[in-house]
Amino acid sequence: MGKATGDRVSRRNFLSKGAAAGALAAGASGGAAAQQNGQSNIRWDYTVDVVVIGAGVAGLPAAITARDNGASVIIVDENYDIGGRGMLSGGRVQVGGGHALQQKLGIKDTADQIFTDWVRYDHEESIFSDRDLIRVFADENVATYDWLIENGVEFIEKPIRSPDASTVDRIFVTKEWRIPSQVIAPRRNRNGSGLVRRMEESARKKGVQIFLKHKMTSIVREKHNAGRVLGITTMNGSNPVNIAARKGVIICTGGHTGNVNFRRIFDPRLTEEYQQACEPYVHQGADGELAAMDIGASLWSTANQTIQDGAAITKTRHIGCRWGYSSLVYEPDSPMFPQARATGLTVRDWQNMIFVNQYGQRFWDEGDGSHKFFAAAMAYNGDKQKLNGGGPIWAIFDADAVIREKWKPAPPHVDPDGWFFSADTIPELAGKIRNQHQKTPISGAVLQETVNRYNGFVTAGADTDFKKKTPQFKIEKPPFYAAWTTPILHDTLTGLRTDTDSRVIDIRGEVIPGLYCAGESQGGFAQHGLTRCIVFGRLAGRHAARLKVAEASGQR
Amino acid sequence: MAQPTAVLVRLEMSEPTPAEAAAGSDIVVCLRASCPAGPERIRMIAPDGSEVTHALGDSGGISSETGDIVLAVPPRVGTHVWRFVLPAQEIGGVRYAEAALEASVTAKPQTTSLAVWDIPSPVVTGAAFKIKVGAKSSADCELKGRGVEILRNGEVAARGALGDTPWPGTAALYWADLVLTAPPEAGMASWTARFEAGGLELPHDDASSSFSAAIVPPPDHTLTVKVVEKDSATPVEEALVRLGAYRAETGRSGLAEVRLPKGRYELSVWKAGYDIAPTTLDLDRDASIEVVALLLPEEDPDARWKM
Repeated sequence: MGKATGDRVSRRNFLSKGAAAGALAAGASGGAAAQQNGQSNIRWDYTVDVVVIGAGVAGLPAAITARDNGASVIIVDENYDIGGRGMLSGGRVQVGGGHALQQKLGIKDTADQIFTDWVRYDHEESIFSDRDLIRVFADENVATYDWLIENGVEFIEKPIRSPDASTVDRIFVTKEWRIPSQVIAPRRNRNGSGLVRRMEESARKKGVQIFLKHKMTSIVREKHNAGRVLGITTMNGSNPVNIAARKGVIICTGGHTGNVNFRRIFDPRLTEEYQQACEPYVHQGADGELAAMDIGASLWSTANQTIQDGAAITKTRHIGCRWGYSSLVYEPDSPMFPQARATGLTVRDWQNMIFVNQYGQRFWDEGDGSHKFFAAAMAYNGDKQKLNGGGPIWAIFDADAVIREKWKPAPPHVDPDGWFFSADTIPELAGKIRNQHQKTPISGAVLQETVNRYNGFVTAGADTDFKKKTPQFKIEKPPFYAAWTTPILHDTLTGLRTDTDSRVIDIRGEVIPGLYCAGESQGGFAQHGLTRCIVFGRLAGRHAARLKVAEASGQR
Repeated sequence: MAQPTAVLVRLEMSEPTPAEAAAGSDIVVCLRASCPAGPERIRMIAPDGSEVTHALGDSGGISSETGDIVLAVPPRVGTHVWRFVLPAQEIGGVRYAEAALEASVTAKPQTTSLAVWDIPSPVVTGAAFKIKVGAKSSADCELKGRGVEILRNGEVAARGALGDTPWPGTAALYWADLVLTAPPEAGMASWTARFEAGGLELPHDDASSSFSAAIVPPPDHTLTVKVVEKDSATPVEEALVRLGAYRAETGRSGLAEVRLPKGRYELSVWKAGYDIAPTTLDLDRDASIEVVALLLPEEDPDARWKM
């Protein structure tokens, strides 16, 4: 792939770059692309109207909508394929307001009802909502449903109930993508693949260019913390590629959950041992937030990140592997399996095990999945070298538990390289537990004492330490097992401040001209799932595309 | 004419040598010499006085390095020293001074550990019952025929010899069936399993491990528990019925029978995927009780994991 070296990029060069990523850019200006910017000294390789960072559930709608409104669009994504976390989601789209499918199923809903639900003061997930954003979100729901249908997305015609703030059935599941080899985690109900692949199909058909393996490295603004956003810099492998945006740059980078330093802004307990759901396919590195904050952007509604509810932190249901998120399994035929290394053992009954901390001690009722459990898992447990975070959590179980759960405790189900161990006795098991986050070996005597005490509770029929509901099974029959079950992080619930057009606001409350944000990098709304990404992605794409270039320069 | 000054060579371990290791184990080390192109062989004098030479190769132009060198820790407890010597020599007109390095390792005994399983509970006062006891050497030594014993209140309660083959699924857990007698008084009773490791080929520490069982008076009555699903009224099989230390499991008809003495009990029933409320009952005769189980909704693939 040729890198532009002069002041001009030939049409041929431009097309060769575009060809690597897909369709011809409609309206993209190759000839004018490589231009020297006096203030930033950036040599632009491409110039389009709108640049979208991230080809996921917010980025694809942003790009398609911008294109529908006449803009030339390039999406960049650091990954080798599109979709972001949406590719691995269950495809649950919480969309309502009385759209056609709801009407067909006899579900009564209105935009006002959505607004009322998501500004509830009596529900953790809505209490800190930015009500201006919720109003727009509510009003855009029906249009968003219609837009998804127009762009080829198919829904299963049966709603799912949610324990969140909604009082109406409005979660509808998309149909899984039809080509298994293009579903990153096939055969595990990853219906979100049907959402993002359909949008990708539509985007390419409409002429959106998608540049994969392009990692955004900065957002370029006219002056430091002042003026209009001009474009972005990216790296394609070791090649810098700079893309100018005549009208707008839309940040859809998917949140900050995987960035230890950034997530600890909100919760200092979230140290490095807590893995990020959807790794290794997607890393939520806070790239968009950091790049925007570098040019003056503000965070917003940060209380949402630490609500004691929802899926920002979850129990690992698939244990004995590194990324055992509750509903995500990479089977051996997944392209991610070589990195994920194990499917994990799926837990059906928490009675079959105890959880111990990095010292081999129980710390809470294993059956509890509430935030009290997470607080206990992350509690200070005496480690003078590590005051924040609780260290690794291990599930300890025996051969009888393996039979009851019908597990095969061997690869490819478990990862013996630091995330799963077996031994003939409990003290021997303790000595074998070695992991990058387990700083010192667990004492065999302590783990044996823990197991003996728990077995005593089973014998007596009551857990006097943590009130586990009638502990049922002793851990006594060899061989014995230890499986990684440290809580895993999922939702990003806060991010950049935007207005109701998804325009990013700076730390002084002013719009940053030409900069937009949607999806999990946007603050103000703690709804779990996909819909807020789609709605605000569409709003961002529409607003940016409708700007006249002259307006973009003086945008307010 | 004066002799040219010898080049001083510094020897060091690539990684620190562990200060302690189990007797009879192996430690892998790698040595680095501060001369990239010079002496090509290094002598190793083992704790028993035997000598071996190892090759030194260039490692990036600033030093030379050996490959992995295995230090066989002697099968004796104590401190052992390996000496590495790069003899003084002249190569290509360059004189190299002698260099030496010692690695000291304290050999600790190997460990043994125990597992005790198939402990029935509850056990009626005075009744005989069988358990399994297994012993394991950290060096996977063969333990067949070795003795294990069970102590209660400092007295030997049972003794036996480990069998010929390891327990299925284990690497080297040698095991035995032992018979114990429950004490005459009801309550939680504890025992200690003990394995003495003297006389093994490698030095080992002894092992002990405690276990307990609920000892109960002879039962008077039979409680029949039927577990049914609330909406369908169908029997729930494989539900675990508990009344304190007493336990049973429902069969295909949803029925379980528990023999127990008269008294007040909290009845709890557990089956994953069901919500079943506990209940308190007073038992003074044979009785039957029906327990209603609420089937929880099937786990949604993307739902939060709550129980």
